[in-house]
Amino acid sequence: MSDSISRRRFLQLTGLGAAAAVMTGCGPASRYVVRRPYTDMPEYARLGESTYYATTCTECPAGCGMIMRTFEGRAIKAEGNPAHPVNSGKLCSRGLTAVQGLYNPDRIKGPARRAKRGEESLAPLSWDEALGEVKTALSAGVKTAFLLGLAPDHLYDLVSELAETAGTAKPVRYGALGMFEARATLVEAARQLFGEARFPFFDVAGADLVISFGANFLETWLSPVAYTRGYSQFRRSFGADKARGYFISFEARRSLTSGVADEWHPVVPGSEGLLALALANLLAERGWNLPVSSVDPAAAAEAAGISLEALTAVADRAAKAARPLFIPGGQALAHSAGLEAARSILALNLPKGTLGQSGGMSLSPAAADAASMKDVQALVDRMNAGQVETLFVHGVNPLFELPAGLNFAGALGKVKRVISFATYPDETALQADLLLPDHSALESWGYQRTLAGTAASAIAARQPVVVPLYDTRSSVDVLLSAGLLPYADEVEFIQSRLLPVLSAGGGNFDAAEIETFWARFLQYGGWWSAQGAQPAAQAAAEAAQPVQPQSLGEGKFRLVVYPTQLGDGSGANRPWLQETPNTSTTVMWNSWVEINPKTAEELGLHNDDVVLIKSDAGEVEASVYLFPAIRPDTLAIPFGQGHTALGRYAEGRGCNPAEVLAPVLNAAGDLALGDTLVSITPTGRRRPLSRYESKVGVYGEH
Amino acid sequence: MAEETNQGVWGLVIDLNLCTGCNACVTACAMENNIPWVGEEDAGYGRSMSWINMQRYWEGEYPEVSPSYQPVMCQQCGRAPCEPVCPVFATVHSESEQINLQVYNRCIGTRYCANNCPYMARKFNWFDYAYNIPEPMNYYLNPSVTVRRRGVMEKCTFCVQRIHDGQENARAQGRAVIDGEIMTACQQACPADAIIFGDMTDPESQVSQALRSQRKYVLLEELGTQPKVTYLKGEGYYGG
Repeated sequence: MSDSISRRRFLQLTGLGAAAAVMTGCGPASRYVVRRPYTDMPEYARLGESTYYATTCTECPAGCGMIMRTFEGRAIKAEGNPAHPVNSGKLCSRGLTAVQGLYNPDRIKGPARRAKRGEESLAPLSWDEALGEVKTALSAGVKTAFLLGLAPDHLYDLVSELAETAGTAKPVRYGALGMFEARATLVEAARQLFGEARFPFFDVAGADLVISFGANFLETWLSPVAYTRGYSQFRRSFGADKARGYFISFEARRSLTSGVADEWHPVVPGSEGLLALALANLLAERGWNLPVSSVDPAAAAEAAGISLEALTAVADRAAKAARPLFIPGGQALAHSAGLEAARSILALNLPKGTLGQSGGMSLSPAAADAASMKDVQALVDRMNAGQVETLFVHGVNPLFELPAGLNFAGALGKVKRVISFATYPDETALQADLLLPDHSALESWGYQRTLAGTAASAIAARQPVVVPLYDTRSSVDVLLSAGLLPYADEVEFIQSRLLPVLSAGGGNFDAAEIETFWARFLQYGGWWSAQGAQPAAQAAAEAAQPVQPQSLGEGKFRLVVYPTQLGDGSGANRPWLQETPNTSTTVMWNSWVEINPKTAEELGLHNDDVVLIKSDAGEVEASVYLFPAIRPDTLAIPFGQGHTALGRYAEGRGCNPAEVLAPVLNAAGDLALGDTLVSITPTGRRRPLSRYESKVGVYGEH
Repeated sequence: MAEETNQGVWGLVIDLNLCTGCNACVTACAMENNIPWVGEEDAGYGRSMSWINMQRYWEGEYPEVSPSYQPVMCQQCGRAPCEPVCPVFATVHSESEQINLQVYNRCIGTRYCANNCPYMARKFNWFDYAYNIPEPMNYYLNPSVTVRRRGVMEKCTFCVQRIHDGQENARAQGRAVIDGEIMTACQQACPADAIIFGDMTDPESQVSQALRSQRKYVLLEELGTQPKVTYLKGEGYYGG
């Protein structure tokens, strides 16, 4: 070695090559992941070097592309896939902590039989016996039901095909995020306006004015990373070419999304539809081609709790905008009049003629298949009537995510055999007779259609990034083992579903046959076409019927329940999601009740006082957080905590606000959770919340 | 040290016009840098270890109340108040990267540096949080980053392991580091692209271009700490 090389430089040089970023899929012939000794490693895996796999994030149904850095067979760090049309290399907190799900110490480690529902003790079960049980269950035809998560993935396609060929019941889908976003309402409104039941996609990036009606699109709404990317472009200015976009938000509490709005109008939850109609009238006066309704803007503003001047100013600004966007969010739609609100708000996007263009609204090309609470209610009714012998549950935790008023637990008691595919011991798995754990998403194959994060057609690929840790088995393989469908294994099924895409062409890569297609599909992390869909604007011209927000009785408060980074609650077993402070309140590891400081003063409540929140459907307890940016007549509770199962990091903290939601549905079949009225009673106890912010000097107390 | 060829003065710019306060940077940093969680009780005592934190301030009274979000990590001061107070030279300035380093195996835990840091960027490891991560959760720990023990101060390193990886990679290919090739974990995750990182000596780098913005400011400028983290003020009603 030359004397001129310092020790430091030598150390740096010997580390050479450690950063070589090889992105590779498994070989085209691989089907099952097998353990191999270090002496016989695949050529792309080298000791001391990271291997990167493209796969798809399954932490929420958005389907962002993910690249997992693995090192010597272990998944180390989740990163975004820069080529993916939804997230362009970015990830949110949930995706970033995916490895804490994979390596969660509380995972279900193998198939098991539960002697008595609700008890933790399990009897071991071999996969052969388990497959026998599945085969028996599947032969019962329509008495076999499936409850699946929201993700439009290959498992959903398989179960749908099973329903067609083997006569099992059509799969029912549910997820708390879908409930908060009132997805069925959004899709139904799009169907009524455009004749196609598809998710709308809002091109925030190209808009110059965004008006959100309770859409928390920077947090969890539909595809938060895609919308945050759009927001980033929306806020940039490029000299004379593009000015900084202006953002107005109507929402009862100043959420993270409303927090970055230029204007925030704290409106009464449920008045958004009325406001949209009033806005339509004001804009029609300013020359927009919109149907005029009988709504008086002054009365609407009063019902919404804002001033007419503020509403007129919004109309003036919208009238001047070149590419305004009006986004209907879950807080506006999850009401009994949600469908009317969704139509009124979506209709505001029509007159400017920006549909399908930059800065406008378009419809996602994938069929929406939005799941609604009505489907779940129908399943519960069938269960109660004894029409369900076997219930398969995958990707959803109904005992935690459904409103308690629906009494899913009672209906579950009438089902002879409950089979859970859960990866984690959640509340529903605790009530299941058989546990047939699926691989974690990072250990399994799959695909997922992208619904709402891009205007282009996209199918995201999922592949194992590590060898399965435990004695788990792919749920698709488990269902195929009954021999009712003509596929040898999961990969064959997936490939058969990819064939139409292969022949369609026009995507990010071309392949002549399926083996090549499969290899590239895995390597790129999916297939996506460059072309977006343009909606055929049939535009039903009638204005929706105005509906007044619910009136508030004495001592009652409106309740906003909103999802956080814990998503549908399944994130609660990720310690870093628990310890990442909620940005607005900086609270960690627990639930809280947000209350306006003025209201708190009137009620004699202080920070950290434990209160009882009671509705007609149920009650929960949580500590008070004095939140300066919420309507004085409204309370808010975050969703995701209050687990009685799901492992050591989730159990026994906070409360589950689903317990106070009544099972009241709107016209599209979504839960009208925004209409929940509650009372608040001090319990006399105090329970300090862990917060990142200093408590000294916050509203004079500590 | 004449043969030291690593070029660059690394700087970070955070555009508050774009930051939404989503906390992806906080989580990304924790997952990249083996930062352990401390649990509810210790977090309540202010012992959480995250190297980057979202500072949220409220301004005004309801209904004209507005938050501002500001991610704050170690500002990598040019004249760092933490450095002269360390009795064992555990917190020193690196000549090669021009950042402020924490040498874990020198640190004896006096906590003088944290006491003297005006940005509250330094985190003290009170207990063996990282060593108490149960199997197999510790499988994801990043082999490129030291797992710290208790009694040791730690803080943001500008993802120095990524800087070195990028430099070595470039050197192996016989070229200079390309702007944007080296990304910190927070920057890589940021869904709004609000975080820009790069070489401030290259006038064409994205970070240098951002530094020419009229909106720039540094935290507590009056202290003369010469931070390498710069903020761009939000333009609207909200921010900065």
